[in-house]
Amino acid sequence: MRSALPFLARVGWVLGALAGLLFLSGCDLKFWRMDGHQSTMIVEGPVARSQLSLFYVTCWVTLVIFILVGGVLAYTMWRFRARTEADERAEPPPQSHGNPLVEISLIGASVLALVIIAVPTLTAIWYTYDVPEAEKKNAYEVTATGHQWWFKFEYPSEQAAVDSAGAKAPLVTGNELVIPAGRPIRINVRTIDVIHSFWVPKLGGKIDMIPNRANFFWLQADKPGYFWGQCAEYCGDSHAVMRFRVIALDEKDFAAWKEKQLALARSVAVPVAPVAAATPVTALRTFKTNEVGVSEAFDRNPLEAWRAKQAVEKVENLALVAQGRELFAAKTCNACHAVRGHGAMGVQGPDLTHFGARSTLAAGLIENNPEQLRRWLRDPESVKPGNKMAKAYRDNKITLSDAEQVALTAYLLSLK
Amino acid sequence: MDTTAKTAYLTKDDAVPAQPKLLAHPTAKAGLMSWLTTVDHKRIGFLYGVFALFFFLVGGFEALLIRAQLMYPNGTVLSAQMYNTMFTMHGTTMIFLAVMPLSAAFFNYIMPLQIGARDVAFPRLNAFSLWTFVAGAIVLNIGWIGPIFGVDGHNAPDAGWYGYSPLTSKQFNPGHSVDYWVMGLQLLGVASIAASLNFIVTIINMRAPGMTMMRLPVFTWMTLITAFLIILSFPAITIALVELMMDRNFGTVFFEVSGGGMPILWQHLFWVFGHPEVYILILPAMGIISEILPTFSRKPLFGYPIVVFSGACIGFLGFAVWSHHMFTTGMGTVATAAFALATMAIAVPTGVKIFNWIGTMWGGRLMMRTPMMFALGFVWMFMIGGFSGVMHSAAPADTQQSDSYFVIAHFHYVLIGGSIFALLAGIHYWFPLMFGRKVSEFWGKLSFWIIFVGFNVTFFPMHFLGLNGMPRRTFTYDPNLGWNTANYIASIGAFVLGLGIAVYFAVMIYTYYKGEKVGRDPWDGRTLEWSIPNPPPEYNFRVIPTVHDRDAFWYEKNHREQIAAERAVAEKAEGAHGGVHMPFNSIWPLVAGFGLLIVGIGSTAFDAKWDVPGIHWKLGLALLGGLVTLVGIYLWSLEGNEGYHLHLDRDGKPVKGHGDDHSHGKQ
Repeated sequence: MRSALPFLARVGWVLGALAGLLFLSGCDLKFWRMDGHQSTMIVEGPVARSQLSLFYVTCWVTLVIFILVGGVLAYTMWRFRARTEADERAEPPPQSHGNPLVEISLIGASVLALVIIAVPTLTAIWYTYDVPEAEKKNAYEVTATGHQWWFKFEYPSEQAAVDSAGAKAPLVTGNELVIPAGRPIRINVRTIDVIHSFWVPKLGGKIDMIPNRANFFWLQADKPGYFWGQCAEYCGDSHAVMRFRVIALDEKDFAAWKEKQLALARSVAVPVAPVAAATPVTALRTFKTNEVGVSEAFDRNPLEAWRAKQAVEKVENLALVAQGRELFAAKTCNACHAVRGHGAMGVQGPDLTHFGARSTLAAGLIENNPEQLRRWLRDPESVKPGNKMAKAYRDNKITLSDAEQVALTAYLLSLK
Repeated sequence: MDTTAKTAYLTKDDAVPAQPKLLAHPTAKAGLMSWLTTVDHKRIGFLYGVFALFFFLVGGFEALLIRAQLMYPNGTVLSAQMYNTMFTMHGTTMIFLAVMPLSAAFFNYIMPLQIGARDVAFPRLNAFSLWTFVAGAIVLNIGWIGPIFGVDGHNAPDAGWYGYSPLTSKQFNPGHSVDYWVMGLQLLGVASIAASLNFIVTIINMRAPGMTMMRLPVFTWMTLITAFLIILSFPAITIALVELMMDRNFGTVFFEVSGGGMPILWQHLFWVFGHPEVYILILPAMGIISEILPTFSRKPLFGYPIVVFSGACIGFLGFAVWSHHMFTTGMGTVATAAFALATMAIAVPTGVKIFNWIGTMWGGRLMMRTPMMFALGFVWMFMIGGFSGVMHSAAPADTQQSDSYFVIAHFHYVLIGGSIFALLAGIHYWFPLMFGRKVSEFWGKLSFWIIFVGFNVTFFPMHFLGLNGMPRRTFTYDPNLGWNTANYIASIGAFVLGLGIAVYFAVMIYTYYKGEKVGRDPWDGRTLEWSIPNPPPEYNFRVIPTVHDRDAFWYEKNHREQIAAERAVAEKAEGAHGGVHMPFNSIWPLVAGFGLLIVGIGSTAFDAKWDVPGIHWKLGLALLGGLVTLVGIYLWSLEGNEGYHLHLDRDGKPVKGHGDDHSHGKQ
């Protein structure tokens, strides 16, 4: 058996190397490029860039040490291994005990290598901590609050209309944070329940949302773009599907977006006569557990998809919208959700005043289109296990018929 | 010694001294009772090992379910809640029920042999540690009755292995799962602290003559340092767990936000324990490697004093870096900078160990046997894990990496590539000593290569996953994020790793029954454990050895005449003194541990509401368990510290019914 081993090992190495080459040539190269939507390696803001360049410093320093030490280790293993039976039986080598000079110089070298990492680390700690002094005046402030399992975004400097009487309150949106590009954004992070963490990899590292702790940090998008974010601290059942988006717009687009958002929810004219004999509603297809809810078209150009959502839907059945608005109250959706101007003032769930203008729903999980919205309304538990809306359905015995789903969908998508 | 003292040794021919029947010493030498009542450090070590390896397989199974779920995007193998339970239990099991007890198995079995002692200082306390560990493991896992038998409100813990408050509060986790987790860890803490005190006293007091501290084998040194880390760090988590228990059951507000509690406090308390815990997991591994490399290089350890000192240094600095687990909690600039620098500093003593291991091999004659393969695998893998660790010390870069798969890759490189490789190496290395049989080189090396390849294929791609933004603890991911290939490869790797572990275990079990028999000292060892026959006799050393040099047994082999002369004198002295003194077996440590099991289950499995019968069970069982433990301890103390004497014939076998024994009576 013993003689077979080196041969087997060699064959194993050759096969392994061949398999590795085949694998490298054939596989999805994205894996090595690390250019996904949540890449920390291809970044689009100064905070993330400073973190990335620090990462490269650590990476190169450790890689060089690894090559040096690993080289010596590999040489030692090759040079001093017992090659033959005779080698193994030979007298033991000289019993030396160490060499203080070698050891002290190696310790010195390690300390030196660490200093190379330490200096940029300290610089970056201070840089990433808060908006630089020179930019403070230009900084735009928002507050992000984590909920199980969605994000609330508040704009303390923007006063939005709350009712037709002219009352105002800071603008609140959910799950999609719209920011001006090219300006530092100072984000206060809060939580309503457990610890969450705010992470938009392309714009900056994460910061935890901890109860009884007023954390903040800052980030900036170089240019307009659409960025993926995700909760990065385990926060219960649906932690994995607690996501969000950041949309950076140039100054003009941002102002336009803001103006729309500050207004009350859009109300459509109710048709005088109800539409007779509406076409029968077909049942929604069944979805697999955890089925993906974002289309490829959306994925190719998400920013355009987002812009498209700002306009009123091309096909709009006003009767259905009106029916949906009634259902929104009848099914007690308004107990948890706010729709400014429509009499819905709930605060437990995301503010839906301009829901139709968002590109995603269910905390950035699925695309905001009629099919996915119906999927969510029909059975929120299957989309996001353990969520409060599903619990409210169970506790209050709320069910939605196919027709009701369609009507609510039409209403919600009309909220531009 | 007073030769007129009451005779109290146990052989077939001698009457057991008059004792109340309840206090009669258990006499079983084989069979179940002999294991339940054993106080022999080798048997206790073996049992620790068996339980640890069982839970290693359980934790591994949980890991394979996790990888099966993540093999493809939008996987449906597990539900969200079940997935969360799996990663919580995988982490908790591997740390507290696999790696720590497996290290404890070696501490128990090997350390007394290395210092030339016949047992640990407190044999019954040692048994108590073992049974309390088993009780803790049962309480921790008892929640599986929920998912398996469909009992509502009883689930296995699912709040993550570091149980961040307030996710563990009654409000967000109303069932019993967190209670099981709290009480399970609490019992494991009791076991660990009792065992550690035992090891410290043993190492300080029971070294053979001439075994000065700077002659201790490095594994024993690392045992000592680890034991100190345990007794200094476990109080922090004990306090945190008590506070959590009070919050959940008695309405206190340590972490309860609505009452002004501070969830961040939990994180500090947890990591003040949690970071030294990391070194509790790795230092024993470093000790094992520091034994194997010299043996198979046939050279002494390079720079022994500096290896020992760096181990102590790591242990010391390990208490000063806990907040590097909290770089994203908004600690502010100065605290972040301080912990970043301290974390970099700890890389120096760690690097020193690597340099010295290479120095040990340099100029040696490397015998590439299976233990050596695992040890070299350790050095390589630990280097990679260490380097990604240094990357984490750069705090701003770490805010991108923390809670991502980059961290998963990092700590699996140090915990599997590090701790587990070293422990698997240790099993191979000491197997001939423990059982007198040796694993076949072919099958040993085959299992090594499968494990090595499977491990790297699983965890190397995770570096890329993390840098590409995949957060940990997510039961699902979408296919449009560029994570599909890496996850698929990682899952394939995990199954290969699982296969490797299966081969490893199959080979071990086969070898235990049918393996090649070997004589004493098959590896040409350097430390005292190799100087005794295998499997070791219950009394370990026929004559307590006198130590003259660091590698004590190597010295013996080169100075046979001097040693033989010394032995003869020592044996005569010991014979005059009464023979080999052995402690009696005892059932009471088991009883005391069993009482803690009742406390653990009773206090967690029932609701604390006055209007349901639950409270009676809860209070009743907790009090009953406490009573059983107290009775166990009381009767244990009534047993006194008696023992009996063995007289050995020329082959080292105890002579039955030898007439003129002088036993230790009550002293």
